[in-house]
Amino acid sequence: MTDTNHAVEIPHVKVTLDNGLDVIVHEDHHCPIVAVNLWYHVGSKNERPGRTGFAHLFEHLMFEGSAHHPDGYFRPLQEAGAALNGSTSNDRTNYWEVVPRGALDRALWMESDRMGHLLPALTQEKLDNQRDVVLNERRQRYENQPYGMAGLVQYAAHYPADHPYHWPVIGSVEDLRAADLQHVREFFATYYHPANASLVVAGDVAADEAIERVEAYFGGIPAGTPPAAVAPPSVDPRARLASLRLEDRVELPRLYLTWTTPPLYAEDDAELDLASDILSAGKSSRLYRALLHDRQLATDVSAHQYSQELAGMFSIVATAAPDRTLDEIDDLIATEVARLAAEGPTDDELERARQQVEADSARRRESIGGFGGRSDLLNTYNVMAGTPDYLARDLGRYARATRAGVAAALTRWLDPGARVALSVVPARDPDRALAGSTPVEAS
Amino acid sequence: MTSVDRSVLPPVGGSAPVAFPAITRTVGLHPGGGQVWMVPHERTSLVTLALLIPSGAAADPPGCEGLAGLTADLLDEGTRTRDAFELDEALGRLGGHLGVDVSSDATVLWVSALARHARAAVELLMEVVTEPRFEPADVDRVRARRLSRIAQLRHAAGAVADRTWRRVLYGDHPYGHTPLGETATLAPLDAGHVRAFHAAHYRLDRATLVVAGNGDALEAAAQGAGGGGAASRSPAPLPDAPADPEAPSARLTFVPREGAVQSEIRVGHLGIARKANDFHAVRVMEMVLGGQFTSRLNMNLREAKGYTYGVHSSFDARRGRGPFDVSTAVDAAVTADAIRETLDELRAIRDVRPVTDEELAVAKPALTLGFPRAFETSGQVARAALRLALFDLPDDEYTTFVPRVEAIDAAGATAAARRRIDPDALGVVVVGPPEARPGLGGLGLGEPAEAPADGAAAGGPPGSSG
Repeated sequence: MTDTNHAVEIPHVKVTLDNGLDVIVHEDHHCPIVAVNLWYHVGSKNERPGRTGFAHLFEHLMFEGSAHHPDGYFRPLQEAGAALNGSTSNDRTNYWEVVPRGALDRALWMESDRMGHLLPALTQEKLDNQRDVVLNERRQRYENQPYGMAGLVQYAAHYPADHPYHWPVIGSVEDLRAADLQHVREFFATYYHPANASLVVAGDVAADEAIERVEAYFGGIPAGTPPAAVAPPSVDPRARLASLRLEDRVELPRLYLTWTTPPLYAEDDAELDLASDILSAGKSSRLYRALLHDRQLATDVSAHQYSQELAGMFSIVATAAPDRTLDEIDDLIATEVARLAAEGPTDDELERARQQVEADSARRRESIGGFGGRSDLLNTYNVMAGTPDYLARDLGRYARATRAGVAAALTRWLDPGARVALSVVPARDPDRALAGSTPVEAS
Repeated sequence: MTSVDRSVLPPVGGSAPVAFPAITRTVGLHPGGGQVWMVPHERTSLVTLALLIPSGAAADPPGCEGLAGLTADLLDEGTRTRDAFELDEALGRLGGHLGVDVSSDATVLWVSALARHARAAVELLMEVVTEPRFEPADVDRVRARRLSRIAQLRHAAGAVADRTWRRVLYGDHPYGHTPLGETATLAPLDAGHVRAFHAAHYRLDRATLVVAGNGDALEAAAQGAGGGGAASRSPAPLPDAPADPEAPSARLTFVPREGAVQSEIRVGHLGIARKANDFHAVRVMEMVLGGQFTSRLNMNLREAKGYTYGVHSSFDARRGRGPFDVSTAVDAAVTADAIRETLDELRAIRDVRPVTDEELAVAKPALTLGFPRAFETSGQVARAALRLALFDLPDDEYTTFVPRVEAIDAAGATAAARRRIDPDALGVVVVGPPEARPGLGGLGLGEPAEAPADGAAAGGPPGSSG
């Protein structure tokens, strides 16, 4: 692929401090701002049944103060002109600030204070308050949203009870209510230390100056013990329920089809990503054209390869048009997927998908900070691929993909006998689910 | 290793001045002769195009609510020479995305593409806007999809609250409906309506094309847009901004949602127009009240009480007076308490707890020091330029923003609250479980008027129960 304006790389230097903290600096002086992006390699996959929702609840507590600044983290950063946020996934937790260059010290001071000195400031009152906030987050984003519980049901059905992806990132209500200060302290000691973290500083700062400042703020934090890698049990697709239904407050039935696929950066991951674009990105995509235009069975359709650390999940989701059935939609999707798996994409489809991959990557790299900008991308590479120097290899996977490779990946992974189908249907209208589905409760 | 003083937070350096790039204007967009605004933004391999049509949902003819949105949604269904699939394929070869935003005030077509394809991207955009097909079969299909979207939104509590709130606040005013419109007004629309709306409103002499990208991309895009000859600052007057609506009839509206675990709440009244003289004072005041995480409302309802995942207030400054509202979703059990706290905060900032210097020490830097972040990407720069065109703002709007905010003191922010928040005019919409309703009678707003979940406002006069 060509990139006429700047090379496809994110120039950076990486050093690892004596305490094990990875530090990556990327200089970009075109805007007077600096991004600080800190990953802890802990997500809900590191929890265990009975203590779910911890990684995410903990993310909330990280904004409530640390030993030397025991009050909220938003005020000192917002008064410095910062944007800031954090997020928790199955695999990792990230925290970021984008600050004017004159506020870099403050951002580093605060990130290092909560890495090195969180627990003295952690009180029962803060825990109780943030537990209530998280329970409201759960209500707002999942329980009170149409189709909001579908993702939770999908993961629970897809992975067995002892698999780290079985339970939701937001956690169960019961476990959240049971969380106590002792659990929180243990969680911090196990996962929140330099040897389990990766820090990117990107933007309007000289690399040597950034490293010197990071060393000053983080260098004195004691090294922790790298946590043991999570070893997931194998998933036997034949052992799980193949067709489920969930009743919800919705107008139209929606079908979720999912398959277990390779994890992030593994063989076939890029081919499946391209296949998802060819199936559902844009009006000329195969499923859009078949489902929304030609047959008008659905009001929307999307396909994704969710590439995660331990496993991937390929998903196709379609909402029925009024008076159309999920069985009709299911048949048409099966036909289109089988055709793409048998014949592969056309040369033109593959080329367009590649152009979009290049442009999407460039769009993501326009920002230095936030969710998905260059700093977050460098941390994704460093934590998930083991090196920040991975952009060219990442994009190279797409450049090398072939028609036959896309077809083979679909044939290998989208086995009709290995999928999980979830029908979400209007309450008291179970007949609108796929025929033969088993009812499930969301909790 | 140097040691760190942890007894005190590091001070923050001064702000870097914002230098918004100089915009080069030419006449292009033939036939018609609209403006092409070139905004240099070097460090990207992308080009962002934004075509402003200064007519949005507020331009829907009465009884045809939803027409502007339907028309915009049909633009990517094909042109004179390409069907929808060929159009999408052509975009794909440019690494292009086409998006259409319809707000009350405007329709904006966005294209992001690889910079090396800038000229082709502009040509494709102009083809889309000047030669749409609007085939009856496509109109039927897209309209059906939008109708089912309206039906689906009846089950999304937040959307029900937003739609009901808009209707309560504005009634039949042009700002009283969303771009989706209502089932009854959207269902009868056909290709004739769409073609007529396009002919009346997609006039290139009133359009502005903003292009943000590197020098090569700008040059190529200008050629694609037929640019030539310097343009004056304002080519044609913008359509009139809507007049103010009448005061709403109901103070308190309740939409029952069986079994809901949360109540969606909206509290507010009419806000400001973008060209209001006190725009900057209002911005500062709203940061203190509910415009950021550390605002009074969020620190009270979320961080002290744990009622909610978050609460936010905003003055949506439009060409006419947009809404001012506080928006939140709370544990249903504390619905009335959350509203009471909100009303208290809205009263208090006017007098008993005026804005303090300490609060301004957070609110103003959050706006001023944070300002450069708004100009990082080509999309952000294009959006900023677009707002100059939409609101007819001067080119120095962004370079004067910081000093104008700096000039607001605590008295000025409090005065803005007194001027722009009227506790006696506040309206409240609640979408929640029926059990939440009895507690609402004690709020001093009368008995709630009940409204259905389809976004229509209650019919009765204030105090009637439905």
